[in-house]
Amino acid sequence: MATVPPRRRSTPRKFWPRFFQYLVLSFITLIIIVPLVILVFSSLKTTGEMFLSPYTIPNPPHWENYSGILSAPSFWIFLRNSIIVMVASTAGVLAVCSLAAFVFARMKFRGKELAFNFLTLGLMFPITVAIMPVYLVIRQLQLTDTFIAVILVQTAFGISQNMLILRGFFLAVPVELQDAASIDGCTSFGFFWRVLLPLVRPALAAVGALTMIVSWNDLLTPLVILDSQNLWTLPLGTMQFQGQYSSDLAVVAAFVALSALPAIIFYLFAERQIVAGLTAGAVKG
Amino acid sequence: MEIPAVRNVTESYHIRRSSRRIQDKVTIVLFLAPAFILFLAFLVYPILRSVYFSMFDWNGLGPAVDYVGLDNFKDILTDTVFMRAVGNCLLIVVLSLGIQLPLALALAIMVGRDLPGRAFFRLIFFMPYVLSEVITGIIWMGLFNADPSRGLVNALLVLIPGVKPQGFLSDINQVMGVIFVVLTWKFFGLHMLLYLAGLQNIPREIEEAALIDGANRWQLIQNVTIPLLSSTIRTTILLSVLGSLTQFGLVWTMTGGGPVNASEFMATYMYRFAFKRFLLGYGSAVALVMLLICLTFSVAYMRLARQEDYQVSW
Amino acid sequence: MRTLARPLFVLMILATLLAIASCAAPTAPPAPPPQVVQQTVVVPQTVAVPQTVAVPQTVVVPATPAPAKKVEVNWWHISTKDPGLTYWQKLADDYMATHPNVTIKITVLENEAFKTKLTTVMQSGSPPDIFQSWGGGTMVEQAKAGLLKDITANMDDAWKGSFAPGALAVYSYQGKQYGVPWDMGMVGWWYNKDLFAKAGIDKTPTTWTEFLAAVKKLKAAGITPIALGEKDSWTGMHIWSYLATRIGGQAAFEAALNRKGSFADPPFVQAGEKLKELIALDPFQPGYLGATHDEMQATFGNGKAAMELSGQWAPSVESANAADKKGVANLGMFNFPAVEGGAGAVTDVVGGGNGFAIGKNAPPEAIDFAKYLTTASAQSQMASLAMGIPVVKGSEVGLKDPNMVEVQKAFAAAKYFQLYYDQFLPSAVGDAINASVQTIFAGTATPQQAAQAIEDAAKKNMK
Repeated sequence: MATVPPRRRSTPRKFWPRFFQYLVLSFITLIIIVPLVILVFSSLKTTGEMFLSPYTIPNPPHWENYSGILSAPSFWIFLRNSIIVMVASTAGVLAVCSLAAFVFARMKFRGKELAFNFLTLGLMFPITVAIMPVYLVIRQLQLTDTFIAVILVQTAFGISQNMLILRGFFLAVPVELQDAASIDGCTSFGFFWRVLLPLVRPALAAVGALTMIVSWNDLLTPLVILDSQNLWTLPLGTMQFQGQYSSDLAVVAAFVALSALPAIIFYLFAERQIVAGLTAGAVKG
Repeated sequence: MEIPAVRNVTESYHIRRSSRRIQDKVTIVLFLAPAFILFLAFLVYPILRSVYFSMFDWNGLGPAVDYVGLDNFKDILTDTVFMRAVGNCLLIVVLSLGIQLPLALALAIMVGRDLPGRAFFRLIFFMPYVLSEVITGIIWMGLFNADPSRGLVNALLVLIPGVKPQGFLSDINQVMGVIFVVLTWKFFGLHMLLYLAGLQNIPREIEEAALIDGANRWQLIQNVTIPLLSSTIRTTILLSVLGSLTQFGLVWTMTGGGPVNASEFMATYMYRFAFKRFLLGYGSAVALVMLLICLTFSVAYMRLARQEDYQVSW
Repeated sequence: MRTLARPLFVLMILATLLAIASCAAPTAPPAPPPQVVQQTVVVPQTVAVPQTVAVPQTVVVPATPAPAKKVEVNWWHISTKDPGLTYWQKLADDYMATHPNVTIKITVLENEAFKTKLTTVMQSGSPPDIFQSWGGGTMVEQAKAGLLKDITANMDDAWKGSFAPGALAVYSYQGKQYGVPWDMGMVGWWYNKDLFAKAGIDKTPTTWTEFLAAVKKLKAAGITPIALGEKDSWTGMHIWSYLATRIGGQAAFEAALNRKGSFADPPFVQAGEKLKELIALDPFQPGYLGATHDEMQATFGNGKAAMELSGQWAPSVESANAADKKGVANLGMFNFPAVEGGAGAVTDVVGGGNGFAIGKNAPPEAIDFAKYLTTASAQSQMASLAMGIPVVKGSEVGLKDPNMVEVQKAFAAAKYFQLYYDQFLPSAVGDAINASVQTIFAGTATPQQAAQAIEDAAKKNMK
């Protein structure tokens, strides 16, 4: 590698672009954050207060909204269930999609375009319509009221988007690497497992983050498949606060805020993988 | 005279090539199998069922008996409300491509490289995606409330002298604009995340080389960053278009497709007929029309954007 | 070289094992809720739910003779909150105590989630044994598809005769009974007496002209006359359907229903025109076209509007959604006013309620349990808990809230009781009515066009 002569950094020249950047970023941050702050505020009020004055700081803050939820064993059961389903779905999606994406990015065969378009169908057919026949399939497999069914369905519907994303990233990996690997006698799978996957870690982490969140927030699939309440996931838990004619929206807000916390933690974990290559550079010659 | 060594190498090369081919075929089948199996069970079967039921007038209960052939499709294509829905979907597609994606790209570039505090910004910008569509819809419904004492946006607007409170979600002419704002808020983080991941593939050496050669930041972005991100950009374009065409949750929560179908989307139209009116045959037909529209676009796009990715060699 | 893939695959295997382990032992969560024989619903201790009124000892049900074989009854209801949640559980517990061979498995779902899950389960042909039903057209569709059990024969005269006939009829079709009601009320104008006094309205309007005059008075006093949540288009539909009932009476609706008349007949068009008269006065809160039902109740409960047209749930919801949790201090109700020259009587009532439908696979014990749920004393307790308006004769003594008593009296006095249009008619037509009335509010269609749109939907879907 050639040595790079140090670049002169002149502070005044860097100031205005930086300032402008921060201005834009701060403005956008404000727009992003306001609804989130309101969610938190709402969660500390009563529902009536929410309707009457949505933007004031809760006074007094109704911590019992939170303590009520946290002290109920049902919340922790739902949390555990959500974690199980989410981890399994994410692993499933990553496994299935990376295998498929590899084939579409790196291998040639007849009918490739057709097969690829076929696998993108999941992005085009709404699950609200698909859920009913899906339930029938689950019933025939005698998998109703099981986690495995929810995991399989979530994985299946995550295939289209995530395979598309991964294929895009796999394409960016240089062909020369694969040629070099095959000359060295490496099989396709060997190349896939030992060379390609580590290289696309940011992409895998991105897909992982997206899948985790989709699974975490999924209401329809668990609602339809799971009957036993001790198998319910967090989104089903919000039902406890919604009545036939009205909902206790403040408590729902608290529940949502609590449910979002683990999702944020998972995202942070995945994000570290995405930007891990930031300082190192993606591929070392 | 034959040189045995060369002949052996040539033979073994041929043998390796054909066993390589078989190996490749096996690899292809094995690698694609899980995806295909899941798809067959959970997507193909539902689609085939929908094709069947789309030719009936069926309320979803019991067997379908009222065969109507292609009448459902005829009704869909002549329904002005459905045309409205298609138009709204296309509007969102155009707006997303023109505003949401460039915004996400710009932000990714800004917080992707050395900017102190970038981790904080990255987290904040992704937060909207973490919330469910329903909760997002509920919060924004409150923010855009037509009453200034309840809706923050109106409360701020009336501070400007001469500006009256706006109807937003209750105003037929403003509702689509509001929906687009909320859709952007919710989903730009997704595209930003993908661009961030894509940026990792751009080696710093190239950027630094360009900068040394005298390029300024804009030229760098234009001639180096964006071309190297092209496959990611192509992915996000496809995802954005398909996502816009099939958008459901946010719109349904905020407006239900109203008022009076002003914010109707294809998916809300389908949902209303399938699950509010229990005309599941018709609803299935709508789902299929939606599928065909998406498929047409996707196939055409894939053809147009043939992969000519920049292969970085070093 | 560190790979992410390997730990992922390990994770997948682990998770799959976990999942299988969880499936294998479905009733063993780490922090088990009170382990009782049946599925218990765990209630989180939330805000502002007054711990239930002491529920007195229930009726002693004679225990079943001879050890019968074990039966499981699946019950799906939508009372996610107290007092309903606890009350239904208690009734189930009491029944199981006296019928040791019966296990009642309760699934509590929120309204929309319930409809979604029920639809899927219906499609697969195995509905729950007892489940929430609103009667009317939806129930009829389920009955026609053979998914409900005909319990006419199981209802002895005593049980059958204990119900208010209007309420029981909601759950029957072509002379056969498919379920039983447990709550039936009516829609009326709930009003804030203080705000009315402030505007100088001394008596509640009994005619449409008086009603419009009252609206004008309220506007003059700077008060929003009516709270309406038209995003949930059924709220506005109530106004239109009441006008149609007042103008056309039972005859007009029955004619349209039987397809001898039409929904585009003059009474229905005039209903739209009267509605337009009201809309022209600008009586609703700003942004009402995008407001939800919850918001409408909050607006009314917080004293921001003087009236709302709502059902028997109004008092509990408006107070729940009000900032002070108490809602309107002086709440009253008056019947929908008569329309001068209309064929309907002012005593005609539009309303609806809740009931239990019986699934086609239900064991006889399920029907027996439904009978248990609708005894006079069970109904009376339900009334005292303010869960709804009881439908069994004699149980109205349990009603404590004077407003509820009013509602029940009006319901009992009605000669013509009409289940809300969008519940009574097939869902395709019901939703079309909601959508068409919304166009009148938005001004995108004339009353004539709106009525015609309804008629088109009826022609198509009611053959």
